[in-house]
Amino acid sequence: MHCRSVFGAGTGIAMRNETNGRLMKTVATSEPEWLTVRKENIICMPLGLLGFESIKQYVLLTRPGEEPFLWLQMLDDPNHSFLVVSPFHVLPDYSPELSGDDVKFLALTDPEDAMILNVVTLRPEGQASVNLKGPIVVNRHTLRAKQVIPTNAVDYVLRHPISVTA
Amino acid sequence: MLILSRKVNECIVIDGRITVKIVRVEGEIVKLGIEAPLDVPVHRQEIYEEIQRNNREALTEGRPKVPRLPRLNGVPVKDAKKTE
Repeated sequence: MHCRSVFGAGTGIAMRNETNGRLMKTVATSEPEWLTVRKENIICMPLGLLGFESIKQYVLLTRPGEEPFLWLQMLDDPNHSFLVVSPFHVLPDYSPELSGDDVKFLALTDPEDAMILNVVTLRPEGQASVNLKGPIVVNRHTLRAKQVIPTNAVDYVLRHPISVTA
Repeated sequence: MLILSRKVNECIVIDGRITVKIVRVEGEIVKLGIEAPLDVPVHRQEIYEEIQRNNREALTEGRPKVPRLPRLNGVPVKDAKKTE
């Protein structure tokens, strides 16, 4: 059995549509595939998420049938995670502009180095929204990440409703 | 709270590594220039707090069932309205 590497499924900053959809194969282990923590799935967030500054390591997991959603799970606390999604699936022309400091912090040299993930909030009534104001940007090569506030954040909303089916 | 008076172009130094400069004063608006190391995040308070709140709300315990987007395979969800 093969699984999709999560790092093929993001969008870049400027060339997001062209970079979408690339898949890499990894070899399965005896564990349930979606639960497997591998070095290449561990995301390092030196500054944490806003409000969760002390939690700096996450693992990005996929569960079969849940694409395009991914789980950003706390490495040291498997019971807590954030549901995230590539914005390409939600708003195809989404293009957050990163500040020079964020580009430096993440050591991005090319827009294609960046994978963007947006936090999804699930609501009790089966509704969901996506945070477009504070995307998580991951350097695909180093897996260093930061929740950034883009310089054009004013153009995007915090709770972008997505229409979902149960 | 420490309160300091500053003129335009004057600075405040915090912890020897963060500099806050008064760049311009236009009526009720004060423009600040902030120089801080890359590992010191600097945000406008309101936006910081609203993202923080949203993250807390989004934190998920266990593995709830995830809803499905109506269309997959790269076909965008077009009917998602851009409203707050």
